[in-house]
Amino acid sequence: MPPRINGPFVEKVLVAFIRDELGRCGCRKALLGLSGGLDSAVCAALAARALGPRNVLGLIMPYGRAFAADVKDAAALARRLGIRHRTIDIAPQIDLYFAAHPTRSRVQRGNKMARERMAVLYDFSAREGGFVLGTSNKTELLIGYGTIYGDMACAINPMGDLYKTQVRDLAVHLGIPAAIRRKAPTAGLWPGQTDEGEIGLSYDELDLILHGLVEGRKSRRELIEAGHAAAAVDRVIGRVKGSGFKRTLPPIAKLSIRSVGHDFLYPYDRGR
Amino acid sequence: MKIALAQIVPKLGEVEANVETHLEILEKARKRKAELVCFPELGLTGYTLKDLVEEVALDPAADPRFRKVVAATRGLSAVVGFVEESPSDKGLFYNAAAFIADRRVLHVHRKVFLPTGGIFEEAKFFAQGREFRTFQAPFGRAGLLICRDFLQFGSSYVHYAAGADAIICISAAPGRGVAGGDAFETSRMWELMGEAVSYFSTAYVIYANRAGSEDGVTFAGGSFVYAPGGRLVARGASVDPDLVVCRIDMEEVREARKKWLFRRDEKPEAVWRSLERIVRAPED
Repeated sequence: MPPRINGPFVEKVLVAFIRDELGRCGCRKALLGLSGGLDSAVCAALAARALGPRNVLGLIMPYGRAFAADVKDAAALARRLGIRHRTIDIAPQIDLYFAAHPTRSRVQRGNKMARERMAVLYDFSAREGGFVLGTSNKTELLIGYGTIYGDMACAINPMGDLYKTQVRDLAVHLGIPAAIRRKAPTAGLWPGQTDEGEIGLSYDELDLILHGLVEGRKSRRELIEAGHAAAAVDRVIGRVKGSGFKRTLPPIAKLSIRSVGHDFLYPYDRGR
Repeated sequence: MKIALAQIVPKLGEVEANVETHLEILEKARKRKAELVCFPELGLTGYTLKDLVEEVALDPAADPRFRKVVAATRGLSAVVGFVEESPSDKGLFYNAAAFIADRRVLHVHRKVFLPTGGIFEEAKFFAQGREFRTFQAPFGRAGLLICRDFLQFGSSYVHYAAGADAIICISAAPGRGVAGGDAFETSRMWELMGEAVSYFSTAYVIYANRAGSEDGVTFAGGSFVYAPGGRLVARGASVDPDLVVCRIDMEEVREARKKWLFRRDEKPEAVWRSLERIVRAPED
């Protein structure tokens, strides 16, 4: 597994990150989508500690009556953390859209829902005057397991440098209920979908391979020699390579002598 | 003799594919009777490598992919750009150019000036070369430069002072500025230097740039050859891929040096003494 993290220390750094990034914009409010799963629970707990629970809004955005248990868990978590929460059913707009443009692809349907949730979050960002917090973890970012401009869209992401297995450790430290921590992780694109089933690897092994590749700078050969199945290593390397576009802004065609994204470069936190 | 400038579009991070491109171009150039083929900077790897640098680095003396290129130079010469990691210097990666003549590597130049700033971040990923050295090529004394090396005009001076008959620069120069007609504005900067260096060094200046784009940056093409005395011999397409084949005559070096006495009257020892003083104790 990737190195175990020191819960109190990581909490301290991430709480300060959330508080500072928002504070620089004169903002004290944040909102995030609450799925009833681990990552959004951890992110909500961090935000509640950084900003005070009443400054955090959790939006629970089910599609109709699917995932009813998760909706219950999400609401229970919000009450436990003391954060505000609202439930918004996205079925009407999704059904309207797919009635006009039908598809058999459940991935396409799931991605559309993820982007609808993003659109709702950004609308509430304006209503609330709050920042949208991202909940994509390092494992997902590295293998591209997320919907571009859907769940990957956010103002700031406190979670993006923690592997899934490390998020689990942090969840224990933050006192996230076992009911959420023990759930099989799912992107929730369709009922019955699980991350590990879809990726074809356990998070423990996936994180071990990723950690070897990224922090360890190990080659394919070295990872196989370390005991990983060649097929697993190839699958992970293939996913990392194939998803680079999700980890960067779209390329801007350079024409002038100074161009946005190329050599017009300022820090994100400029003057804040 | 005829020379060729291979204004190719390398595939980013794919050494095998780029080796094949090099082999194809070498054959094309051979059919057109070229005796020297100049490929662009990092032609075997692509330019915007970032963390891929360590994955595409190779030892030119042993790497089978590089040896395939070397083996394809029977009866001609080639300048090839690649990422070098030598067994005596493990973990250090150089932006390098090899001069290969008839299946022998005669010289490897490691880029000295690594542009870092604006869109460039070479010093983040490459180790820095430490010297400029000429060598005896089949057609005369030659000196290699890589891209930005050429814009720091001391580099060309060192080759000139060492007696280079030809200064060869391989490049992956992006185009910037679109107010300059049918080429990027920055193409003029390179030609200006080529013209001036060929004029005042009375040597050939051979400049091979690449085409294509990577991560939104378009490479400007516009490879060129200037004869001693500042005469433009050939120019490659702006932006588009091209294979420029042109004729050069090394006798022109002699003719230019009879006419213009810069080389005869050069005083490297005076330059050296002054430089030494500047390096040891910067002028106040």
